[in-house]
Amino acid sequence: MAESPLNVLLKGNTGRNTRGLLRIIILGTIAAAAVSSRLFSVIRFESIIHEFDPWFNFRATKYLVQHGFYSFWDWFDDRTWHPLGRVTGGTLYPGLMVTSGVIYHILRFLTIPVDIRNICVLLAPGFSGLTALAMYFLTCEMSTSPSAGLLAAAFMGIVPGYISRSVAGSYDNEAIAIFLLVFTFFLWIKAVKNGSIMWGALTALFYGYMVSAWGGYVFITNLIPLHVFVLLCMGRYSSRIYISYTTWYALGTLASMQIPFVGFLPIRNSDHMSALGIFGLLQLVAFADFVRGFIPGKHFQRLLTTMIIVVFGAAFVGLVVLTVSGVIAPWSGRFYSLWDTGYAKIHIPIIASVSEHQPTAWPAFFFDLNFLIWLFPAGVYMCFRDLKDEHVFVIIYSVLASYFAGVMVRLMLTLTPIVCVAAALALSTILDTYVLATPGPNPKAKVVEDTSSEPLRSARKPDVGITSYLSKLVVTSSVVIYLLLFVAHCTWVTSNAYSSPSVVLASRMPDGSQHIIDDYREAYYWLRQNTPHNAKVMSWWDYGYQIGGMADRPTLVDNNTWNNTHIATVGKAMSSREEVSYPILRQHDVDYVLVVFGGLLGYSGDDINKFLWMVRIAEGIWPDEVKERDFFTARGEYRVDDQATPTMRNSLMYKMSYYNYHTMFQGGQAVDRVRGAKLPAEGPQLSTLEEAFTSENWIIRIYKVKDLDNLNRDHGNAVAFDRGHKRKRATKKKGPRVLRTE
Amino acid sequence: MKLLNFLVPFLAILPHGLCGNSNTDKYDNYRSHSRSTPITLDDSSYADITSKPRDYHVAVLLTATEARFGCILCREFQPEWELIARSWNKGSTPGDLRMLYATLEFTNGKEVFQKLMLQTAPVLLVFPPTVGPHAKVDDAPLRFDFSGPISADQLYTWIIRHLPEGPKPPIIRPINYMRIVSGVTIFMGVVTLFTVLSPYVFPIVQNRNIWAAISLIAILLFISGHMFNHIRKVPYVAGDGRGGISYFAGGFSNQFGMETQIIAAIYAVLSFATIALAMKVPRIADNKRQQVAVIVWGSVLLGMYSFLLSVFKVKNGGYPFFLPPF
Repeated sequence: MAESPLNVLLKGNTGRNTRGLLRIIILGTIAAAAVSSRLFSVIRFESIIHEFDPWFNFRATKYLVQHGFYSFWDWFDDRTWHPLGRVTGGTLYPGLMVTSGVIYHILRFLTIPVDIRNICVLLAPGFSGLTALAMYFLTCEMSTSPSAGLLAAAFMGIVPGYISRSVAGSYDNEAIAIFLLVFTFFLWIKAVKNGSIMWGALTALFYGYMVSAWGGYVFITNLIPLHVFVLLCMGRYSSRIYISYTTWYALGTLASMQIPFVGFLPIRNSDHMSALGIFGLLQLVAFADFVRGFIPGKHFQRLLTTMIIVVFGAAFVGLVVLTVSGVIAPWSGRFYSLWDTGYAKIHIPIIASVSEHQPTAWPAFFFDLNFLIWLFPAGVYMCFRDLKDEHVFVIIYSVLASYFAGVMVRLMLTLTPIVCVAAALALSTILDTYVLATPGPNPKAKVVEDTSSEPLRSARKPDVGITSYLSKLVVTSSVVIYLLLFVAHCTWVTSNAYSSPSVVLASRMPDGSQHIIDDYREAYYWLRQNTPHNAKVMSWWDYGYQIGGMADRPTLVDNNTWNNTHIATVGKAMSSREEVSYPILRQHDVDYVLVVFGGLLGYSGDDINKFLWMVRIAEGIWPDEVKERDFFTARGEYRVDDQATPTMRNSLMYKMSYYNYHTMFQGGQAVDRVRGAKLPAEGPQLSTLEEAFTSENWIIRIYKVKDLDNLNRDHGNAVAFDRGHKRKRATKKKGPRVLRTE
Repeated sequence: MKLLNFLVPFLAILPHGLCGNSNTDKYDNYRSHSRSTPITLDDSSYADITSKPRDYHVAVLLTATEARFGCILCREFQPEWELIARSWNKGSTPGDLRMLYATLEFTNGKEVFQKLMLQTAPVLLVFPPTVGPHAKVDDAPLRFDFSGPISADQLYTWIIRHLPEGPKPPIIRPINYMRIVSGVTIFMGVVTLFTVLSPYVFPIVQNRNIWAAISLIAILLFISGHMFNHIRKVPYVAGDGRGGISYFAGGFSNQFGMETQIIAAIYAVLSFATIALAMKVPRIADNKRQQVAVIVWGSVLLGMYSFLLSVFKVKNGGYPFFLPPF
């Protein structure tokens, strides 16, 4: 056979180089695709920070860049949680801000003037490219097939489950954390395979970075010990495991304790106990393994049994004593709600109120993962074929992460990487078998068949390969169709579901053109420009970060829900009558109250729909004064129209939402478009607040809290007087209401 | 309980016998008839125990525990209620704080239920005293509506909140020795069984196929939304309003029990087809059979995936993609 130019390129040494170059080009293209598919929001809207939490991260990053690292570390923020303040430097995960701060300073050093906002907006897409790369490395450790890594990288690059948290502008901890998660796992697999201190130390280094970046590090903290534990149970103890685990645990724990927010948790909190326990167990196993070399079998058996009983007894007693005496902290609420699924609903309404903490219905899985979801079990099954140490890891990760993703929508994020790995393993096996010009088994994909007594049922017979071209054509073409469908699905989902900044809303006009609804920024900038710099703004906690970030005004509560009582205070003020709320507002120096109202536009994420959570959280603290039952009609309905309960109609939230709303409509035709309710012709009256600002589409309404009356009347009387009503005799008999303001 | 049942008729005639006596006796009398458990009332004794003047608190649980009323909440709460009463009566109460715990069954107190116009059960009423140091001006009973399952501790904190200040006995849950003993026995039994059967058990525990099956079943359960069913307690199926059954719930974040089982089955078939194509088919030696197998599994894959997409389209109206044939 003559040497054709193609053969020169594909065979021998040159061939290897060509393939390496191709691989680099493919990975570069995947990274580019990953970045560009996340730019929908920037192109459609503008370079803007999204949603809620990113606004805090953005504000913190600006603070870091302005004031330097050390003052960021010691930052006490007196502009949130008024009047308590927040020790921000010690209660956040600084990894994200520090990363963008470092990037900012490098770019400045290279004399590239980039606004810090643009770095923050584009950080997540940039890191998604790195995640695809890390995914390639991780999957290449799992499979000998060259295509598996590239497939996994491509899947990871565009899968919606990851895009949902990493579009441009979604400047959240997860933006860098998923890259760190995948890369830490890659380093861990590498460490276990090689038994090398270097890889173990690198794992610890990236684990430390992960701890500084995201609270989800606990997942790694528990998954790696579980991996080691299962390997021990399978009788696969080796010095490789000992070296990599002890290196990782010792260095990683020290690294994680450098973060002020984590501090001494790794040795006190029950979430971290499994890592410590496995560390101890591994020492014992190593010791037993060492002793076995010196003592004859029968004595060794007896020694081993005694040792196991003594050690386990001592450990159990110690654990019980420490837990009872309070040295070890009990399970943290968020973590506990993962295991006892009914726990959060009863005990922690503030966790149950967050939509990210709801369980996942099946459409969400398919929506986020498309056809990977059914390749996933197949890939896990194939891991059982070789069942090397790293495959055990994939299996454990898969089962655990799919449980977590089922319990909490948010944890879909941790499931996505392993789904990509498993799906790539399954699909690459198919491709390696069917995309092969010559008949017979693929020589490259040939794995070392497991020689253990019991292979998988489906792998007992020898591999003969696919003989007919028709079969190859059928399978290959259908796989190509599925892949194309996957790409189309991902693009559609990203474009339609995950690219809205939620600060700016988009709607379609009747003629199909796009209409931008920009009420949030309109209102926040109104606050910024028309109120004194120290005017306190009260709102429900969802909007705290945005007010802090965009309006730069102090808030009472924000999305860092560290003080339940304070949130309940706001809930009580919102859900009580004006006479009750006004003293609360005065006590907290509130100047403005902000509510979100979607009734005019049909925007369902408004405060009336969140209102029951405010009531529930307030009821948790003041069960006598706020009662959820009072907000439901006798027939158990939550209504806002003329059938609404008196408590509902007199609550501050209801009044603020519907104040003057009926004047928008003619002759008692006021309609709430979210709840589809016809409102009473007579709107609610406000006496202690006055309307300060209402945005274009009425989404944001801001009220100014009135100062005390000049004539020492209470506000109800003052308003009645202004409206020309005579003062009623009955009120005089009781004497004027005393307004308590301290 | 038997003693109490015997006492019911006796309590019914109590008011007649005690008419002339002072209130102090009334409290002591009720107290003496029920040392630890809640007092069982009927229509007349209810009227008596809540009659004015009274110098004690009385908490009455109006309930319907009999099976024919089908009140699951009542039956679930009954032991908790008895626990509260027992903890209070056995604990050391502060001297001048007098409190009675009583239960009124619907069968014994139809008139009371009618008079109070109660549509639901259980309901807890707490009557404050009208005379004595803790007397309240407003003697209307406080009412606690049960909105769902509730533990003794939660209700007890509610009761305590409405009592005057002062130390109160804590809730003491009796240690369930039976459970501990049975737990230990079962544990030891399992250990023994395991030791004896270890030659037979070990091959099973170490069997790779079994572990593969367990993992796959767990994964399929979780990714088809089983935990959602478990947490939200969704119905298995629902009617479609025209006498038929609707298998798929409307809405993206809503599902039925049966729906998730269908989805799990679809995923399982798709995964199995993938496994077959990737691992089984290349091991078929006969050319003809291999060809047929590829086409069969390939079409199963296509058909199922197409069906899955059409189901997803039902859940998410605006979804634009589909595959033939469905």
